[in-house]
Amino acid sequence: MRTSDVIVVGGGLAGLMAAAVSASRKQSVTLLTFGSGSLPLASGAIDFFNADNPEVAIKQLPDTHPYAKIGSKARDGAVKFLCDVAAQANLPYNGRLSAQIPVVTAVGTLKYSALVPESMDASKLAAKQKVFVVEIKGLKDFYASMIVDNLKKYFPAKQFETAKLDLKFLGGRDITCMDAAQLLTDNEQPLANELKALNAGGDDAIILPPIFGIAGNFSRSAVQTQVRAEIFETTCLPPSPPGMRLQRAFMKYLQNNGVKFFENSKVIRGVVEGKTVKGVVVETAVREKTFPARKVILATGGFYSGGLTMREFDKPREPIFDLPVFFPEGADNWSNVQLFGDKPQGFSTTGIFTDDSLRPVDSSGNVLFDNLHVVGANLGGCDKIFERSAGGIAISSAYKAATV
Amino acid sequence: MSDNTKAIFTGDRCLSCTSCMANCPVMAAVKEYRGPKLVGPAHGRMHFSQEDIEESLNYCSNCKSCDRACPSGVAVSTLNMLQRAEYYKKHEHLRHEDMLAHGERMAKLIRMMPFGATFSNIGMSIGKTLGIFSALGLAGERNMPAYASTSFKDGFKRIKQAPASKKLVMFTGCFINDNEPQVGQAFVKVMNANGYEVLIDEGFNCCGSPLVVTGFLDEARQHADNNVARILDWKRKGIPVVTPCTSCSLMLKEEYHELFGEHEMHEAAQNVYDAFEFLEILQERGEFNENVKPLNQKLLYHVPCHLKSQAIGLPAQNILEEYKVAKVQTADAGCCGISGNYGFRKDKYEISMKIGAKLFERVKQQDFDKVISDCGTCRMQIHHGTNIKPVHPIEILAKAYA
Repeated sequence: MRTSDVIVVGGGLAGLMAAAVSASRKQSVTLLTFGSGSLPLASGAIDFFNADNPEVAIKQLPDTHPYAKIGSKARDGAVKFLCDVAAQANLPYNGRLSAQIPVVTAVGTLKYSALVPESMDASKLAAKQKVFVVEIKGLKDFYASMIVDNLKKYFPAKQFETAKLDLKFLGGRDITCMDAAQLLTDNEQPLANELKALNAGGDDAIILPPIFGIAGNFSRSAVQTQVRAEIFETTCLPPSPPGMRLQRAFMKYLQNNGVKFFENSKVIRGVVEGKTVKGVVVETAVREKTFPARKVILATGGFYSGGLTMREFDKPREPIFDLPVFFPEGADNWSNVQLFGDKPQGFSTTGIFTDDSLRPVDSSGNVLFDNLHVVGANLGGCDKIFERSAGGIAISSAYKAATV
Repeated sequence: MSDNTKAIFTGDRCLSCTSCMANCPVMAAVKEYRGPKLVGPAHGRMHFSQEDIEESLNYCSNCKSCDRACPSGVAVSTLNMLQRAEYYKKHEHLRHEDMLAHGERMAKLIRMMPFGATFSNIGMSIGKTLGIFSALGLAGERNMPAYASTSFKDGFKRIKQAPASKKLVMFTGCFINDNEPQVGQAFVKVMNANGYEVLIDEGFNCCGSPLVVTGFLDEARQHADNNVARILDWKRKGIPVVTPCTSCSLMLKEEYHELFGEHEMHEAAQNVYDAFEFLEILQERGEFNENVKPLNQKLLYHVPCHLKSQAIGLPAQNILEEYKVAKVQTADAGCCGISGNYGFRKDKYEISMKIGAKLFERVKQQDFDKVISDCGTCRMQIHHGTNIKPVHPIEILAKAYA
């Protein structure tokens, strides 16, 4: 079996990004995944940091924070690269590292992200005269009146109207946004006709669940060109079309750039010689298979994806290379009772520590492997959910690991 | 490994994350199917009476896209198949289900008649013309796979092989044996070129895949027990069992144990290899015969779902490219839609063609010399959807051994 220049383990946002950036630099890349990764479950919006200006706040973080290791060059490079990959799949993204773009959620609150699919960028919502919130008959988990009630808290003076359209989706199972998106693809005209009938003007907005297809921006363009009001998509429960669009954009990029992509491939250990990783071993139903590599990027995720495990309390493990895992010692420091309180959760800061090239280090800071790089959710030292930094860390650490 | 892979033990790992739904080709094609998550892991464990049947279960094609999408290692499609078997404990099989499940039995009957293959091929084309297939519940749009005049196993006796100390047993699979013996002949040529004498074990049954997907689980179990006992016999003699059919290799290596959970099934599985997996292992050991000539062809490779599930990379592409036999471009167009006998059912034909549409479109670009695919029914589906007849990659490699 031919030796890959780079093997990426993991097919979530960080893994796809690491594989794509590596391939863009003319490396031969093999991507090994077990499960379809985080993106079908994700909103498609990429958060960098929860602050008025994320770019400034990130620069003030302590040296132990993953962002400090990643550096500003990789952060800027990652933003540009992701937007390029998406644009090539006709999936325009708006934003930049310092941006806080509002997105309307499925319940009508606003969340702020640095990079947002154009279809979800609600920056101009505040300036709109009238907002139409439109639900679809048979589509579950989207309630226009609840969204209006919540949006009124942000925009008390604004005029809202709800509508319910029958796109003939009834019959068969309960329809999710993914189903609606698939049913709408190449069949946009009935929706366009219904939206035209709302008589929304050029200064108005129409808010819809994210049902404009699962590839690119084609379905939305087909409708938007016929409707004067600006259409915004919300986030939704999974499976999430905006996340799937980003995943498909990456997959298209990987295919066009010769990345070998192997599913169902659970990596169980590395092949190491001293401080060099020579490859990884995949477990199949009956035997093992070795994939040789010159460089390995570990994008296996945190506790939620099995990139980190904890079978015994206070003994978190990284199961492939048995890397040292940083964690806050003592049960008291593991969590605080307020799940959504104003402090980070200790357990969420668990992860691997690295040097400035994202190579794993031991407690004394010694680099353990010269050609192994850790990216994404298994990096330790911060609560990415609390900080809202998971997406930004995923893409910028991947960019860094692929370019060092 | 081992006991962890038994399907009924994997259901509890389901987090309801919906990854399987996002990757299910049947859900994307039809809204009647309530989806892998709900049918297998959820309903399979949570229903509380025998009468509580989830009818949309019959939409699952067992392509296993859900298993590959699952981040938690749930054997979703096998849970669906176990549920399907439960359903048929209380419900009669339809006639076409019986026919599609028992291709091996039918072929054996036909081989016993003089000119049986010829007459049944004529019969099948008449049957198609007269709409008899359609009336039986089969997809009237399709040609039934034509029988070869001589089955592979019958013709095998006439293949002259040099005796060799290295031997392997070929598990032919029904389709190659009855319909595409040329694939089997290519397999023998390739293995001979690599210093292996090929043996046939007449005692093997159909792997059971067509039985499992049509809910004949007890019969599938009998096939499994017989095949597993024989594979273990060969294992004791140090002779591996190798098959050029990806659905057979998946059934023998993984699905027996997932379905039935007997330890011997796992033990037997360790002696089973897919054809190119075996060749790649020879390559890794430095035992692969590199004396191949370049064919200067560009191949479009449709990777079967049941190969993807085996997590062995793409050994056929690796070998054909490593020795410059041909350039191989993967089609990357998803499931072909036929999924064994699924697309042969009248009520599933349209779904199957809808799923395959992306692949057909890719194949019709015709920017290659040949289409290759390791799976017999994938090859049939591509032929049916595009009028371009694909070959097994082992036929390409056989040509390269002059």
